[in-house]
Amino acid sequence: MERMNGEPKALRNVLYWGLPVLAIGLIAIGWIAFSGSNPDLMPSPAAVWSRFIKTFTKPIAKTTLIGHAWASLKRVLLALMAAWAFGISFGILIGWNKKARAFFGSIFEVIRPIPPIAWIPIIIMWFGIGEFPKILLVFIGTFVPLVINTSTGIEMVDRINIQVGQIFGGNSSQILKDIVIPTALPSIFAGIRTSVSSGWTTVLAAEMLGANAGLGSLVTRGWQGSDLSLVMVAVITIAVIGALLSVILQKLEKVVCPWNH
Amino acid sequence: MEPLKKRMEVKKITKTFFGKKGYFTAIEEVSLDVYDGEFLVILGPGRCGKTVLLNIMSGLEEPTSGSVFYNGEEWKGLNPEIGMVFQKLALMPFKTVMENVELGLKFGGMDKGKRRELARYYIELVGLAGFENYYPKQLSGGMQQRVGIARAYAVNPKLLIMDEPFGKLDAQTRYQMQEDLLKIWEKERRTVIFVTNNIEEACYLGDRIILLSDCPAKVKEVYPMDLPRPRDMVSKEFLHLRTMISDNTDLSI
Repeated sequence: MERMNGEPKALRNVLYWGLPVLAIGLIAIGWIAFSGSNPDLMPSPAAVWSRFIKTFTKPIAKTTLIGHAWASLKRVLLALMAAWAFGISFGILIGWNKKARAFFGSIFEVIRPIPPIAWIPIIIMWFGIGEFPKILLVFIGTFVPLVINTSTGIEMVDRINIQVGQIFGGNSSQILKDIVIPTALPSIFAGIRTSVSSGWTTVLAAEMLGANAGLGSLVTRGWQGSDLSLVMVAVITIAVIGALLSVILQKLEKVVCPWNH
Repeated sequence: MEPLKKRMEVKKITKTFFGKKGYFTAIEEVSLDVYDGEFLVILGPGRCGKTVLLNIMSGLEEPTSGSVFYNGEEWKGLNPEIGMVFQKLALMPFKTVMENVELGLKFGGMDKGKRRELARYYIELVGLAGFENYYPKQLSGGMQQRVGIARAYAVNPKLLIMDEPFGKLDAQTRYQMQEDLLKIWEKERRTVIFVTNNIEEACYLGDRIILLSDCPAKVKEVYPMDLPRPRDMVSKEFLHLRTMISDNTDLSI
C-alpha cells in the first residue's frame, strides 16, 4: 500500500476521493441533459425526487417505500438463511465425501445451469403466488453459487494441510472442522457474496411477476401505469440497497477471515 | 558400551508410482536404522524420494514393498509417536502462532488452559515469545519455520522428522536456524531425522549422515560424524568430510 507514484500524498487523496464524485457527477449531468430533451422517455431528477417524497405521503398499496424495500429484503433474508444452511452444508458434503460427490454431483450439474427465473412457471403452478414460492425461487437462485463455491473450496484444500492434520493425530471430523473448512472459508465467503447479489436480483424478478409489496412490484406498477418516475425511484432504491449489502459483506469478511487482511 | 537401541528400522523399502504414462520408481530397496537419541541426517541431492521416504516412515504413505519396524515391531499406518516438520511449512494461515502450535494437543483432547501453557513453553523454546497472537503471514520465513518446529515439539514426539525445513531460507537465516535447532535439541533431546540436500548443513548437524543417490533414491553410503559440537565449518576436519561426501554425491541439475 505504501507505493509511491511520485504524487504528493495530499494530491493523491484528493484524486481518489474526487474521481468517484466526478463519475457520479457526469452521470447526473448526462441524466439532466437527456431528460431535458426527452421528457417522455426519462423523468428529470427533480421529478424523481418529488416522486420519492410522494411514496411516503401517499403510500402505494398501503405501504411506503420503506415497507416495500423491507418486503423485498425480508424475502431475500429468509431465503438466504435457508440457502446458507443447506447450501454450505451440501457443498461441504460433496466437496469432502467422494461418494456423495459421485451420487449428487451429476444431478447438481444438470440443475445448475437453469436460471432461477426459468423455474417461475413451475413454481407458480405448484405453489401459487404467495410468499413461499417467492422465497423458494430466491432459495434456488442462491443455493447454486453457495454449493459450487463451497465444494470447490473444500476440494482445493492442499493435501499437505490434511497430512498435517493426520500427523498431529486429528480424526476425520477434527481435520474437517479445524483445517479443511477454515482453509476453504475465503472461497465459502465468495459464495456468500455471490448468493447475496443473485438473491437480490432474483427476488425482484419474482416480485415483478406478481406481488402486492416489494420493490419489484413497484417497478411493474410504475411500468404499467406509465409512471416512469416511480420506476426510477424503485430502480435507484434497488441499486442503493444492493450496494449497501455488498459493503456490509466486505466488512463482515474482514471479521470472519481476519488473517487475509 | 551397550549397543545402541534402534528406534526405527526401515527394511528394503521400494516405492513405485503407477501413472498413465507408465511407472516411476522414487525409492528403491532403501534400508536404514535410526538409533535412539541420535540426530540422523538423510542427505539427498535428487528431487525424488526424500519426502516419499519420510511419508512412509511416518505412515502417511504405504510402501510398494518393504516394511518399517518401530521399537522392534512392524508398524503400519500413522505412528502417534512421530512428529513432523514439513518442507512447505504447512502452517494454517487462519490460525495464530499459538493456535498452530497447540494443534496436535487440541486434537489429542487436552483442555485449553493446559495446552496453552504447554504451547507457550515451546513457543518460548523456539524464541517466538511475544508473537503468540500473530498470523503466519505476519512472520518472516525463519520465524514461520520456528512455528513449525514448535508445533512438532509440542506433541512431545519420540521421533521428530524434519523435511528440508530450512530449504527456502536465505543463507544467513539458515545458519542461525541450524545453530538454534541444535540448541533446542540439546535442551529437549529427541531422536531426529533431518532431511536436507545441503552437504554443509548435513555435516554441521548430523551424528550420522545417510547419503542417498539420485532417482531412484538408494542408500549410497553411511557416514558417522564424530566431530564435537559446535562444529567449525572451516576447520580442516570439517572441510575434509565435506569434500569426501561431496565427491561421492550424484550431481543433480
